[in-house]
Amino acid sequence: MKIFNLKLKNKLVFFNALTKTTIVTLLLILVPWLAGEITRQDTDKELLQKLDKVLTIIETDGINSFIDQNAELKAFGSYNIIKAEFVSIEQLERDTLIDEIQFSQRNIEDEIIDYRVLSYSLKKEGKTYLIEIGKSMDDIYKFEQKLKSYAVIFLIIILLITLLIDLVFIQFLLKPMDKIISKLHNMKNPVNFDFSNIASKTTDFVYLDQSINALMHKIERAFISEREYIGNVSHELLTPISIIRTKLDNIMLSKSLAEADMIKIVEAKQTLHRLTHLVRSLLVMSRIENEEYLLNEKVNINVLIDEVINEINDKILFKGLILERNETKTTFNFTGNKQLLFTMIYNIINNSIRYTEVGSITIISEISKDGFMLNITDTGIGMISNQTEQLFLRHKSFSQEIDSFGIGLTLTKKIADYHKISISVKSEIKKGTIIILSFPHSTNSNV
Amino acid sequence: MRILIVEDEKELANEIRDFLVSEKYNCDVAHTGKEASEMIAFNPYDFILLDLGLPDYLGLDLLQEAKKHNPESYIIIITARNEIEDKIIGLNSGADDYLAKPFSILELLSRIQAISRRKFGYKTSKIQFGNFNLDTIKKTLQYNNQIIELTSKEFKLLNYLVLNRNRILDRLQLMEHVWGDFFEEDYDSNYIDVHIKNIRKKLLTYDQKQWIKTVRGIGYKFEITD
Repeated sequence: MKIFNLKLKNKLVFFNALTKTTIVTLLLILVPWLAGEITRQDTDKELLQKLDKVLTIIETDGINSFIDQNAELKAFGSYNIIKAEFVSIEQLERDTLIDEIQFSQRNIEDEIIDYRVLSYSLKKEGKTYLIEIGKSMDDIYKFEQKLKSYAVIFLIIILLITLLIDLVFIQFLLKPMDKIISKLHNMKNPVNFDFSNIASKTTDFVYLDQSINALMHKIERAFISEREYIGNVSHELLTPISIIRTKLDNIMLSKSLAEADMIKIVEAKQTLHRLTHLVRSLLVMSRIENEEYLLNEKVNINVLIDEVINEINDKILFKGLILERNETKTTFNFTGNKQLLFTMIYNIINNSIRYTEVGSITIISEISKDGFMLNITDTGIGMISNQTEQLFLRHKSFSQEIDSFGIGLTLTKKIADYHKISISVKSEIKKGTIIILSFPHSTNSNV
Repeated sequence: MRILIVEDEKELANEIRDFLVSEKYNCDVAHTGKEASEMIAFNPYDFILLDLGLPDYLGLDLLQEAKKHNPESYIIIITARNEIEDKIIGLNSGADDYLAKPFSILELLSRIQAISRRKFGYKTSKIQFGNFNLDTIKKTLQYNNQIIELTSKEFKLLNYLVLNRNRILDRLQLMEHVWGDFFEEDYDSNYIDVHIKNIRKKLLTYDQKQWIKTVRGIGYKFEITD
């Protein structure tokens, strides 16, 4: 699930939001019941207060001021115009003890109205009276609704405010973490790592930053040592290779040498040549990694492509392939290292030719909105997806028939990365391969 | 012709010397920059083969000294650094050519011969075989004053074969000469065979003699019997 791949900051915010929303939802479920309960209790309290007042009046004025003893109906009733409240007193036939509050429906002037009714029996002058004080449920419901609305608004506001505070706080809290991640993310190679300490009062982050810096220092030393080693070894290897090569050349020139021995020497020279090519490629890669090449030449890429085609065209012709090249009247000047750029384009086209036996090599270059695109399409053996992923790794070759160290494409990728040129590969087995080079527009190019 | 070989690797220097001596050149060898500096100051040389990576001397300083004391001499830089910038710096500093290690000694010889021809003018730039005339400066091939169309690579190949006439050249040497820096680790020698086939075809149009002999399993030999 995508949610598990979120950033820590987002996960914390998400978790907080989830727990708070759960709590608020529970509260919202409870609010109607709570509001009802509060309203009921308030109403009951109000009814009891009113009962006290009625009892005080009865005590002061006497029950007879309410009940006419001579009347047939020994009862008293009073309600206000809107029938929101009523008070009734009636003489009971039996001596019953009543003291309760309950919901009840009353018919007042042919209108059925819901009331909360307090019923209380009072003994006065040897007779039992029932006092009932009612309050209309309409009023109670309205109050209850109001209470619910205020509670919901209040809870939502609280929820939003706390979420916002959480978000700001988590962002503030994890800012050092973002800086550490950004330092790691922006690192092209260990030598370019930003070793400055991050500003933080959180000891965990300070410790993490210091540990990463210490680790990166170790990696940096190992990295420098490795690339210096490759560079030095490659350079040093060329001298003994050169000696062997010259010796073999001299032996070849000997007039007394038998033809069978000559063939063996030629084979030895071929192996030595492979070694030379490997060492030279490693040396160039080491120099790229050491950023020894200057990227300061203005290179017209379309002209450069034509130069490569001119150099490689006979290979295309010899294999009976068709070269297709689009019309290129535009000029795209790219600032970089011409020798390296030539090698990069040459290696890609050369590789296309190598793995294509029938069909064509199509080279299309055009200005794109992001810069400049160069597509090299062949109708060769193609690759499966696993192979396209490994295409630019060292020592990979995809044909059993063609012996290769595969270092040419590794070098190509290194050159592309060095110039910030992106390479993508699309391939279909037995149909062919497309290599797409995207030259960046801004920073180091102009059209 | 007198040549100074400045190379700190004794074995390599000796191999180059042995070959050039066999080619009738007069050779001196200097293994250190200091030694070379003294030799350049007191002796006139036609050629100086200069290794730029000397442990005791800056190669380019030695180049400047050579230009000062031996302004007439031709300088070929030899270095293990096969970089275009080094090549440009070397050539801008007065060197006449550049060879990256490891190189074929026949390639070195062809460079020396090419510079020699430039030095002595057009008279020695033409090589004749049968009724063919190969002009190494104008890069043309003629048969009885009739120009034969050759592609640049065909000319390069034929020129190299003719310069090393009567000597077996293996395919690797030919590929190195024709493709130079763009020569791959897994080269396909078929390309050379196709070029040779095309050159033969063009020569046969004018002359039935088989000038280029195939040496099975090795390469080719351009045969001229004087």
